[in-house]
Amino acid sequence: MKVRLPLLLVLITGIFGALPFLIPHHVIQTADNEFRNSVLVIIGAFSLVLGVGSIIRHHMDKVRRKREHWEYSWVLLISLLITSIIGLFGGIDGNGSLPTNIGNFHFDIQTIFIRMEVPLGATMFSILAFFMSSAAYRSFKARSFEATLLLLTAFIVMFGSVPLSAYLIPKLPHFAEWILTVPSTAAKRGMGFGIALGGLATSLKIILGIERGWLGGTK
Amino acid sequence: MSIWEKLTKIDRRYIYLMLLLVVMIPIIVPFKLHPKPMPPVENLFNAIDAIPPEKALVISVDYSPDTEPELHPMTYALLRHAFARHKKVGILCISLLGLGLAQDALSTVTNEFNSVATTHADSIINGRDYVFWGWQTMPLVPILGMGENIAKVFPVDYYGNKTDTLSMMKKIKNYNNVALLVSIAGGESPFWYITYAQTSFGVRIGVGSTAVMATDFYPYINSGQVTGMMSGMKGGAEYEELVLTKLGLKGRRKATEAMSSQTAAHLWIMLTIVLGNIGYFALRRRKK
Repeated sequence: MKVRLPLLLVLITGIFGALPFLIPHHVIQTADNEFRNSVLVIIGAFSLVLGVGSIIRHHMDKVRRKREHWEYSWVLLISLLITSIIGLFGGIDGNGSLPTNIGNFHFDIQTIFIRMEVPLGATMFSILAFFMSSAAYRSFKARSFEATLLLLTAFIVMFGSVPLSAYLIPKLPHFAEWILTVPSTAAKRGMGFGIALGGLATSLKIILGIERGWLGGTK
Repeated sequence: MSIWEKLTKIDRRYIYLMLLLVVMIPIIVPFKLHPKPMPPVENLFNAIDAIPPEKALVISVDYSPDTEPELHPMTYALLRHAFARHKKVGILCISLLGLGLAQDALSTVTNEFNSVATTHADSIINGRDYVFWGWQTMPLVPILGMGENIAKVFPVDYYGNKTDTLSMMKKIKNYNNVALLVSIAGGESPFWYITYAQTSFGVRIGVGSTAVMATDFYPYINSGQVTGMMSGMKGGAEYEELVLTKLGLKGRRKATEAMSSQTAAHLWIMLTIVLGNIGYFALRRRKK
């Protein structure tokens, strides 16, 4: 039963998920609307509770067992608690029931997001540029004909992607655009077909219960 | 160690330091570059310009803080363009983190317009000129649901107003009333709009994507499923240029400001690759 029930659920929901795209009959369409607008939203809401519950449990456990870097778990838990309270009761721009300013110092959820979350996120992502520059210097060598071709293409696209190129070589940005529109797209299309067919085959295997890795366990 | 060996073994810390300098110096002392708009950006601009008064532009803010510097200027530019041309705008988020960013862009751009507005008609008013629908769980729910009834997917807007009571929503019921939907994303959400909204309902799709993701959307530009696209910071700067030259709007243009830094960084990376290759070929020749 432990195996059959999930398999049956996947078979039914998998087939039902595809039917509305194939059968325009109003009974199927209405059922699909209802399923999407009500059932999926409820499942989504539950997954939110599950996610928050899981992250709290994971970090509480880390703190309790004093695992490596457990101090940072406190930072996460305290931040989660404070922002949740401010977000729930402080309103979007500090117009809720909870006061979210001391004089000119504002700490409403929008201010916290824009002043803390955005710079932190952008900073983390910007570090990628440093790794990319170092990796490009070390690995981009014209060792073979293919590597040279790749290197030249990268140079054209990189230089074509900055406005300066249009001043120095007016046709270069258009050539870079052509590389992206024609040869790169042709390769992308081929890959896309392969990926789509692979996805379709895997989905069918899961729906029909042939592929059971998602059930977990070894048996 | 010979000079050729040194060229192949530059300490990564020097590469990092130089990159930091070439990014920082143009921010402090910028050199002005005016990007020339490419066809995908021009097509997007023209598509928004051609939106009829009874239809709306929908902007899906689907990015998170990590890609904010690259994508946020696009949202600003689109909103400025739409409000300057008095187009109705609907805004939603597929990514939960997009909510705060959409709110930021909306409040900044509406303040820009309202601070110089002299009449009520000139002002940009929530519910009349734009509606911020907010976020709905599971991407497929809003993407497919909006094809039937937008107010059913978003019963209340981001500010808690009942959606169907807002004056703009009297005419904007579903995708039939949407002239163009632009998904600005650092991830895959434009694919979902192309797959479900465009294919099932025929709504026209525009894309604003990070430079690394842009190549994934070119096949859809060729097939006509994507009307226009802004790719990366340069795409945003090109759109800002169109907003400046065609509409005369002089708000802050963050993507254009960043172009000098991006140009310098690209040139530096190209230079390091050239140096590495010079050293590599010199050493190979010596070994032979």
